[in-house]
Amino acid sequence: MEAAALAPSLKNIAPQQEYLLQGSILDTHRDVLLHRLRGLCDNAERNFEAFSDYEAVYVLRNSSTAQQSQNQHVTFRVRHALDHSDAPDHIRYLGQAELGDRSRHTLVRACLDVACSSNVRDFLTEMGFRIDHDYVVKGHFFHKGRMKVTVYKIFRLIQPNKTDPHNLEPLGQSHLVELSVVAPLGQEQIGEDMKNFAEQLKPLVLLEKFDHRKIQ
Amino acid sequence: MGVSCVFSYPVPEGRSGAQVVDILQKQVETMGGSKTGTFYVDCETYQSVMLNPPKTLHILHNSEYPASCFAILDSGATLVADTLFIALMSNLKNIYQAWKGAKIESKGNRFQLADFILKIGSVSLAGSFKGILLEVEYCPCIVASECWAMLKELLQSLIGNIAESPPSALKKKKWMKSTPQQPQCCSTWTISTTLGKLPP
Repeated sequence: MEAAALAPSLKNIAPQQEYLLQGSILDTHRDVLLHRLRGLCDNAERNFEAFSDYEAVYVLRNSSTAQQSQNQHVTFRVRHALDHSDAPDHIRYLGQAELGDRSRHTLVRACLDVACSSNVRDFLTEMGFRIDHDYVVKGHFFHKGRMKVTVYKIFRLIQPNKTDPHNLEPLGQSHLVELSVVAPLGQEQIGEDMKNFAEQLKPLVLLEKFDHRKIQ
Repeated sequence: MGVSCVFSYPVPEGRSGAQVVDILQKQVETMGGSKTGTFYVDCETYQSVMLNPPKTLHILHNSEYPASCFAILDSGATLVADTLFIALMSNLKNIYQAWKGAKIESKGNRFQLADFILKIGSVSLAGSFKGILLEVEYCPCIVASECWAMLKELLQSLIGNIAESPPSALKKKKWMKSTPQQPQCCSTWTISTTLGKLPP
């Protein structure tokens, strides 16, 4: 039957890559950018689509010698929508970012999104993962074709495990802006499209490929 | 979704697994069951390396839930996720390694008999035949304790005394509701397919 044939075949999904550009904008100028994005992106006639997510970062370390474990750790990001409590949780795995040479316009990294049941945080803890840090992101979401644009702010949790608005402290005085596409490996055209789109947001925001290793 | 239970059916000496499956299928058809396709359940096992204490993780696929997989830790914790979860496991290969030769699967035909769904599957471990499992589901009800009499009546005409008492999973539970902490698919199948419970 179809169902029986489907289960094994679904396991062989092509690896997905995330193409990413990042930038930031001061809180005071955020609305100008939102209106610009609304004009440029799909569904311009609709209101802004807002999101509010809780993200917890879990790390699994190999408990062998300390030196080895530095390299041998895996990070999973678990996301949960605060404004849609019935939506499934997500585990996101992000690979090592590749900057590439000048001819490549975006940062590229392996990306895996897996929807799962809401007990995922307990399950990962049982598997041996430990929570590294957690935060809340609130912002707006746009899309143009397969490009996704998010304008969001990161909030620190003053007391752990409490995500009510009184317990959130905004980090910095600016919003993060991300332009990303998740697609199978080797589609270099995406980088070109993203660069062209980013050009249209200048000089409000400069979207660039950032080397995260230099910031850490 | 109703109440279901899984039974292991012994293969008598002198008969092959395929013959016994065939007899069971014919019996179901004689009782008025009609074939509604095939089914597939498999379980892969991963073991932790260098984790203290060591952990074992089973990942189950079930053709009734073709886009999901069920991860079960030896502690009993369960997670329902997209089938892509298996790709996450490949990123953990330094810490959780697939136990080669421990892939166990059950394949066979699925029958519908009025309010019941019957699945007769031959179980194989790493390709070699291990036994026969029979899953029976009573669809209209989710109160486990209320269904046993109904299930028993059907099962006794099919597999006889093997279905004398309800499986332990069914005894423990009042409600057969599928929750993230205890998905129904896992509670019935893990008991039969995880390696510890395999017939030798």
